[in-house]
Amino acid sequence: MIALRLRDARIGYGDTAVVQGVDLTVAEGEAVAVLGSNGSGKTTLARGLLGLATVLGGEVEVLGAPVGRPRERGRIGYVPQRHTVSGAVPATVREVVGVGRLARLGPVGRLRPADRAAVRDAVAAVGLADRLDDPVASLSGGQQRRVLVARALAAEPELLVMDEPTAGVDAASQDALAAVLADVSATGTTLLVVTHETAALAGVLTRAVVVDHGRIAYDGPLAGAGEVTGGHHHPEGTGQPPARGYRQDQPRVTTDGVR
Amino acid sequence: MSVEVLEYGFMQRALLASLMVGLVAPAVGVFLVQRRLSLLGDGLGHVALTGVAVGVLTATAPVGTALVAAVLGAVLIELVRARGRTSGDVALAVLFYGGIAGGVVLLGLAPRGQATNLDAYLFGAITTTTTGDVAVFAVITVVVLGVVWLLGQRLYAVSDDEEYARAVGLPVLALNVVLAVLVAATVVLSMRVVGLLLISALMIVPSAVAQQLARSFRQTLYLACGIGLVTSVAGTTASYYTGTPSGGTIVLLAIALFLLATAAVALREATARRRHRRRAEVHAAHPHEHGDRCGHPAVPHGDHVDYDHDGHRHAPHRTGTGVHYDEHGEHVPPAGTGGRA
Repeated sequence: MIALRLRDARIGYGDTAVVQGVDLTVAEGEAVAVLGSNGSGKTTLARGLLGLATVLGGEVEVLGAPVGRPRERGRIGYVPQRHTVSGAVPATVREVVGVGRLARLGPVGRLRPADRAAVRDAVAAVGLADRLDDPVASLSGGQQRRVLVARALAAEPELLVMDEPTAGVDAASQDALAAVLADVSATGTTLLVVTHETAALAGVLTRAVVVDHGRIAYDGPLAGAGEVTGGHHHPEGTGQPPARGYRQDQPRVTTDGVR
Repeated sequence: MSVEVLEYGFMQRALLASLMVGLVAPAVGVFLVQRRLSLLGDGLGHVALTGVAVGVLTATAPVGTALVAAVLGAVLIELVRARGRTSGDVALAVLFYGGIAGGVVLLGLAPRGQATNLDAYLFGAITTTTTGDVAVFAVITVVVLGVVWLLGQRLYAVSDDEEYARAVGLPVLALNVVLAVLVAATVVLSMRVVGLLLISALMIVPSAVAQQLARSFRQTLYLACGIGLVTSVAGTTASYYTGTPSGGTIVLLAIALFLLATAAVALREATARRRHRRRAEVHAAHPHEHGDRCGHPAVPHGDHVDYDHDGHRHAPHRTGTGVHYDEHGEHVPPAGTGGRA
């Protein structure tokens, strides 16, 4: 089975293409890193697969159907590039993660016992079982990111797309995330991780796609990606070493914008 | 004590109406607060005025025409937002002023003698509630609460993180339209009780009180409904005795509760900060910074590491000026299992 198939794809916002001429096929169960510098278009590529950026031309098929079709509902997990959970009204970890389960249900209907069990399992998988009924706002930034990971896991997705899951997360949490992703990958879930830093997830991700100036510059084993990018896929301007070992209470500024 | 307020038919209807409004308005308002679209209710209130004017001009029941106008306005604004060409903010403003201008102009066209008291719609005239109104309100109440019960989790999902909801395939546009229509229905329901200009307050303020006290979204929803119900009924009752307009009385009561809750929360936080500072002071004269080789056993604790210091735990806490140590001794989980910091 093919999880993703892009043929001469142009993806962007409004009428402006950010990535173009993208040919990419990802088989079910692959674990792919999407690398590239800021503004390279790697996030836009991922957002195009999720229906959050516009497919302006070519073909983009996700899980066997053109992007945006209802057939995909409940089969995709997504961890956005965001440090914290938003929302003006308080919500518990259980409530936020429960949202991940909703798309699997029909247009109406409430969470069933099996869904609630999946929510508990997902929260346990990211190591927050004892915080299930705590308000998300009472958690640290790193823990809130884990809540967003749990939300995606609760859907038991066939395709899991993550945007910078290791940014702003301390080394121990990065290792914990790698372990979780290894488990998820072992169940046959296709992984697509947009990232600057592959060090923490090198044991999980096997293939790398490097995006440069809106085009694919490299597609092959993760180990070979460094030679192509020559390390220039590091955050420009921040002058930071690979983000291992920094602490949560020294928040790192991510310069990468939404696109 | 005889309950004088219940002896009159008009007050019975007024209290019934305020009970329903108090319950329903916050149940919808919580989602608007979460979505940071608190003023949508206000905009739709203005649109409803055009509906009222159409009703007056065509001699049909204004409640019906107001409902139609508000629902149309609600659907329109969601479609404009979904197109993404105009920001929700500008679309809301156009709706806002178009609605109230249309209402005022159309009412001005009404033949003399038919002219209706504009104040009654803008600020509420709860004692003019008819038995027919109460029946319509009851239907709206049941429908709105039913939809919130059935779709509440989805409405929460879309209000909380619209992008995520879109990415995983929830029907975002449909849910947004449903929420907007619920707001429209609530606006019409509240029209008689608090008036079109004050409707938003009854949707938003109870939620603003509840979100400071509650720990979960569900708690916030229930608490907001409870606060709305109590302030609405109490305000209506009070207005009977004081002779003040019901809408303004209800809203002032709700705002008083909001100020009270805000003050209470601020006080609680100040107390917690003071306690924290006192504990930190105990260890202000700490001889060294804990670290890998400080000689004190490191104890993993949730998302950080404590140091076992003569039988109690020190948790490093970085501040602007350096590091001080919090006491994490009173909640000692078995080492390594994690616990609350």
